[in-house]
Amino acid sequence: MSNIVNIVIDGKEVEAEKGAVLIDYLFKQDIDIPHFCYHPALGTDGNCRMCMVEIEGSKRPQISCDTPVKEGMVVRTQGENIEQVRRDILELELINHPVDCPTCDQAGECKLQDYYMAGGFYESRLEAESKVKAKKAVDLGKNVMLDQERCVLCTRCTRFTDEITHTNELGIFSRADHSVISTFPGQELESDYSMNIVDLCPVGALTSKDFRFNQRVWFLESFEAICSGCSKGCSIHVDHKKEKYKDDQIFRFRPREDHDVNGYFICDDGRLSYKDENDNRLNDASINQETVSTKEALTNIADVLTANPNDTLLLVSPFLSNEELALIKEYTLNNGTTLSGYSPQYYDESFADDMLRTSDRSPNRAGMMALRINENEKDFNELLSQKKVIVVIENSYFEDKAELFKDKKVILFSSKDTKVKEFANTVLPVASFLEKDGSYTNSESVTQHIKSGIRKNAPVGTLTSLWKAIESLSKEKA
Amino acid sequence: MKNFTLTPENQEKFEKISKRYPKIDSMMLPTLWLVQEQEGWISPEAMITVSELLNTTPIRVYEVVTFYTMYNTKPTGTHHIEVCKTTSCMLCGSKEIIAYLEETLEIKPGETSADGQFTLSVVECLGSCGGAPMLAFNGDYVENLTVDKVKTLLKESSNGN
Repeated sequence: MSNIVNIVIDGKEVEAEKGAVLIDYLFKQDIDIPHFCYHPALGTDGNCRMCMVEIEGSKRPQISCDTPVKEGMVVRTQGENIEQVRRDILELELINHPVDCPTCDQAGECKLQDYYMAGGFYESRLEAESKVKAKKAVDLGKNVMLDQERCVLCTRCTRFTDEITHTNELGIFSRADHSVISTFPGQELESDYSMNIVDLCPVGALTSKDFRFNQRVWFLESFEAICSGCSKGCSIHVDHKKEKYKDDQIFRFRPREDHDVNGYFICDDGRLSYKDENDNRLNDASINQETVSTKEALTNIADVLTANPNDTLLLVSPFLSNEELALIKEYTLNNGTTLSGYSPQYYDESFADDMLRTSDRSPNRAGMMALRINENEKDFNELLSQKKVIVVIENSYFEDKAELFKDKKVILFSSKDTKVKEFANTVLPVASFLEKDGSYTNSESVTQHIKSGIRKNAPVGTLTSLWKAIESLSKEKA
Repeated sequence: MKNFTLTPENQEKFEKISKRYPKIDSMMLPTLWLVQEQEGWISPEAMITVSELLNTTPIRVYEVVTFYTMYNTKPTGTHHIEVCKTTSCMLCGSKEIIAYLEETLEIKPGETSADGQFTLSVVECLGSCGGAPMLAFNGDYVENLTVDKVKTLLKESSNGN
């Protein structure tokens, strides 16, 4: 028996899976059906009643998030009747909501605000004094701030802590008008995924302590990327902005729905790792601690590399993209240098868990392995003792091991301002992880591409462009 | 946090009642009553103990305790006065009774007097409309109230306990 049935949505015939939830097919038809409590990751709860639709043959409107698809179903999402039903429900949601959008951090990405504006409730039928007051700006821990007055009690956050993290920190207390979300007295959020409830919250009840009041969301630009925090490579949105007279800056990461990798969520450490991209950057090229132009540094590096190809060790890292690794691998094959990807410093067993986090805190080790770049410890130590020229490319292995540089000539490519700089003969800044395009392969062999949207005032070159410049300079000499 | 335990008698009662429930977490309300009879209120420590007894999480217990107004989440005074405010009592003058109590005890509903003697609560219908206005004094009904009757009640209980 076929599981595919035909249904009609707003006069359009659609094929659907029998028994599936109707709201999913409304989304597929790009119908923006208002909803608060339904979320594909958390399933149906049916408490907000916003997603009402008319179904021919039913006496009353039905909630589309809890209506299974049936053969021949005729669904209407528009029309005076059903829109009035949804307006009335929305007005109920707004009874105790303070409608303080101008001071609310969710404004601009708030479902309630969108529906409210669309519904045209500019004049409230209620006195502000009659609204039930609750606690505002409660710090729940783990960078989550709670405003109980703005809550519409959709229970997405409590269901997240029950069903996804199983940590059960959040609940609904009291009843009726006095119902509020909170944690058990004296307890704080403890899950490493807590900040996902900030994204889940359809209104401004849960906001990120880290992001709130930093930027209005409608001023932010966004591009799709992956998180470099571990080898899972979770899909994210990077929200950044170039303010007038300032440099382009990243303000936050948000999880991006990707069923091959992370599903709907990311961990808090990954989410806050945007700070690493902004902070502590290396900007100036230098030779023997003296600042020089990029061109001078490039010429110097080309000289050193062409003079000692057989005495050179290139140390790459799993933070480089597949394209960059391939370019350097090819250089090694053509010029007789040696290459290693040794980078044990990125392993951290304590970081791994059974959800998303892995013990390898670098994004592209699988890509490095696919290119057969050797990361064997014994081979690396042997090469390190033999070779006179060490080229360190975005690899933090030497961070606290500067004594290994004794009697060596060191060339450092780095996006970070590191201590290694002081021991390097030539230093060249390179574009950071999110400032360049490239592809990365995660621990589950999924390859994802990043196309950077960051436009720095004074961009430093990407490793690819710099390396190509070195290659052409070397060719000129030969 | 201090640990909370049921007294041996209450533990015995708990085990006796638990046999009536095929699923142990259904026994939330009777267990909470046992705790409240023992302590006069339900502390967060007690909620954690209850959650362990019922094989559930403390947050579920807290949700239930706050949902029902008859569970006290704060310690009560020696005497707990619950005055009915619902229709029959209100029509027969519960407002004056509440006002008198507020004035004499110098507290608002939900508070405990400074000497720790009396806690005043204003509650929904206690099902004794025939005796309106009425209150429950430590759970015992006192009906057909007048201000004088309340005055005597307070006096007697302060003196003789």
